[in-house]
Amino acid sequence: MRADTVLSIYKFKVKTFFGAFRASKASVVLLLVYIIGFLPGISGFSITIADAIKQGGVDLEVCVETLAALLSVLMVFALILALRGYTVFEHEQIFIFTSPIRPREFLVASILADLTSSLVFAHPIFLLYAIIVFSLNLSAYLALLMLSAILLFIFMLFFLKTSFSIIKALYRDLWINALIYILIILLLLPAAGFFIDLPLKYSLLPYPSKFMAEILIDILCNCSVNLISFLGLVSYFLPLTALFILTSERNFFPATTYVPFVSPFDASIRTQTLKMERGIKIFSRMGSFLTLNLESKSFLRFLMKKEIIRITREGSLFAVILMYLIISFIVAAIGASASQNTQGPPSTFFLIFFLGTYSLIVPLMLVSNWRVSDLENLWVPLASGADMRIIVRAILYDFVLISSIVPSIMILILSIIQNVNPILPLILIISTSIVGCSVNLHIMVKFLGKKSRGTPSFLIGWASMLLSALLLTPIYILVVLSILLRLGDAANMLLSTLISIYSALIMKYFVRKIEKSIVKIEV
Amino acid sequence: MSPIIELIDVWKSYNGVQALRGLNLEVHRGEIFGLIGPNGAGKTTTLKIIVGLLKMDRGIVRVNGVDICEEPYEYKRLIGYVPESVSLPDYLTIEEFLIYSGKIRRVPDDQIKKRINNLVRLFELEEKRRALIVSLSRGMRQKVAIASALIHDPDLLILDEPFIGIDPMGQHILKDLFNERIKSGKTVFISTHMLDTAERLCNRVAIIYKGQNIALGDLKNLQQLSKTGENATLEEVFLKLTEEAKEQPIEEAFEERRRDFFSILRRRLL
Repeated sequence: MRADTVLSIYKFKVKTFFGAFRASKASVVLLLVYIIGFLPGISGFSITIADAIKQGGVDLEVCVETLAALLSVLMVFALILALRGYTVFEHEQIFIFTSPIRPREFLVASILADLTSSLVFAHPIFLLYAIIVFSLNLSAYLALLMLSAILLFIFMLFFLKTSFSIIKALYRDLWINALIYILIILLLLPAAGFFIDLPLKYSLLPYPSKFMAEILIDILCNCSVNLISFLGLVSYFLPLTALFILTSERNFFPATTYVPFVSPFDASIRTQTLKMERGIKIFSRMGSFLTLNLESKSFLRFLMKKEIIRITREGSLFAVILMYLIISFIVAAIGASASQNTQGPPSTFFLIFFLGTYSLIVPLMLVSNWRVSDLENLWVPLASGADMRIIVRAILYDFVLISSIVPSIMILILSIIQNVNPILPLILIISTSIVGCSVNLHIMVKFLGKKSRGTPSFLIGWASMLLSALLLTPIYILVVLSILLRLGDAANMLLSTLISIYSALIMKYFVRKIEKSIVKIEV
Repeated sequence: MSPIIELIDVWKSYNGVQALRGLNLEVHRGEIFGLIGPNGAGKTTTLKIIVGLLKMDRGIVRVNGVDICEEPYEYKRLIGYVPESVSLPDYLTIEEFLIYSGKIRRVPDDQIKKRINNLVRLFELEEKRRALIVSLSRGMRQKVAIASALIHDPDLLILDEPFIGIDPMGQHILKDLFNERIKSGKTVFISTHMLDTAERLCNRVAIIYKGQNIALGDLKNLQQLSKTGENATLEEVFLKLTEEAKEQPIEEAFEERRRDFFSILRRRLL
């Protein structure tokens, strides 16, 4: 294995992953916003855990069991990824696999690159680690040991996924599928103990996840190291490393499967469009009942119909409905259990806040999909001399309609089932949609310009969510007050009117900003 | 009669890289005008500035006598444009996209129907008119884009590399279409790398190099300018002129362009 080759592939992979991040100066600012955005939540969570440990009220067996279950889920996730065989991106097939590079060199570089990429998103975990280590006053020896165990487990996951992917890619036989499924079942089976009375428990089984959980809990709660657990973890790590070494000798390059490039930093419209094309091929039948024709009486209606067709045929509408169906199921379940235990506010509270918070995601999704679908097609209206202000209005109105109507129907059904007054939840959802869609579209249009187009959409989305949440805070405060003070219908009607006016004003403000920005776009 | 397109001292840069350096150009009505030049010469930038997809840093662009900075929207009704890499809304059918193109160009509904029928017949897209664009080949997409540029029967057709991806039959149809359009007094402005096609098709061509117009005229003018002889092909002329331009210092070229600009301005004022 040549170290310089590994380094070159590693650099190439990392640069490709973070490629678009370098394409726009705004990315740095937005990444800072992303990192800072996690600080309050993670700090609070870490301090709560550290305090609970200090107070000594922690049930160690439950902790080991829960942590082992979570770590087993991670292992299962690695195995599920292996079921696809070894997947690579198109540029890797074209540029790397056609060069005299050995499989092991490629694999080592890939694992290191994956680790580097994960670190960017894992910053909350490191923050959690650092705060807990300092809060509990752990010695450097214990802190290092904990870090070593974490790294050992992470590499184990990588070796597990890589080795099984290669075996799957090379043999593609039923036995390998069967083996992976058996491992998945074995890993998840003890988790059933959380729901039903089972004699199987993680703490009773020699699983790597159990050893890892024991190491962490012992260090944190007892300030000691469980040597048997550590040796147990190593006893899994070594065979998995050997398996990796064996499989990495095989030439699996011709057996790899091509997948579209995936990176949260990827702002390449080409690859995202490829993904969207697949969606259109699947969902276009769903939208075949709608056709764009000359029947629409006004130009605005015609454009709105065109957008509805896009939203339906590319699968966005399906995704919105599916998301709300899932959340409605959860809300209904929570509401049902809450009504069994207590009376009054909790079910309303859950109904409002689950749906309210959730509905912030929908405008983001709709706007992001519009960017992927239509950014490259913007030349059509821009070169036609059409009034771009009407075009963006049509887009915004459709986003507000879709993100309001679907949850409103769900709320009405849930409110009938749970016997809750739907006025406040409806007003909250509609306001969230109006504010969310206006803010998201405004920020997205701002980033459509040539200079900032390279900004990754997940960073733009993060900034949009933060701004939307800030602007929605007064509305949520009013609704909380209304619930806590148990205001009457008349007061709630007044509150609803105030919230509606506030949302309408915000929309008006952002519509003007969008109209100004859209005409300045260069494509 | 004033030219349909006039570019006077047009400058454009991207992140400090100068794409156009005082470009001057005139396109006459009723001609097929070709813009040729090596990669990165500024051809696409020029076309995008004319159709309003890019903003120039300075200079004057007039379309049909109208300064596009003073009136940036209405003049576009005269133009049909097709970019080099065609991207279309994959989620629409051919017919729906053509309806959309007609609507945004304010073509009356009854005319939209008629023109769609004619265009799908012309480009042999009848069988596919209700097929989603996502299912079309690259060549078919190019045909759809050209059909959409013709939906409002524009006076000026601007096409960036129109023949790429189109089969020989499609290219033949396109060339016939261009010739028919100039017979009815309309103008076709194309940018192309296909020098043999440009030689046969275009009435006049402009060769641009590093954002400057280094030669303009019909083949005879260019042969004289390049001193390549009357049998020289456009390719030979192009190679000779771009070779010479490479050797010419940029400052000197600027000075020439400045002289050109003032001579055009003087002509306009007098």
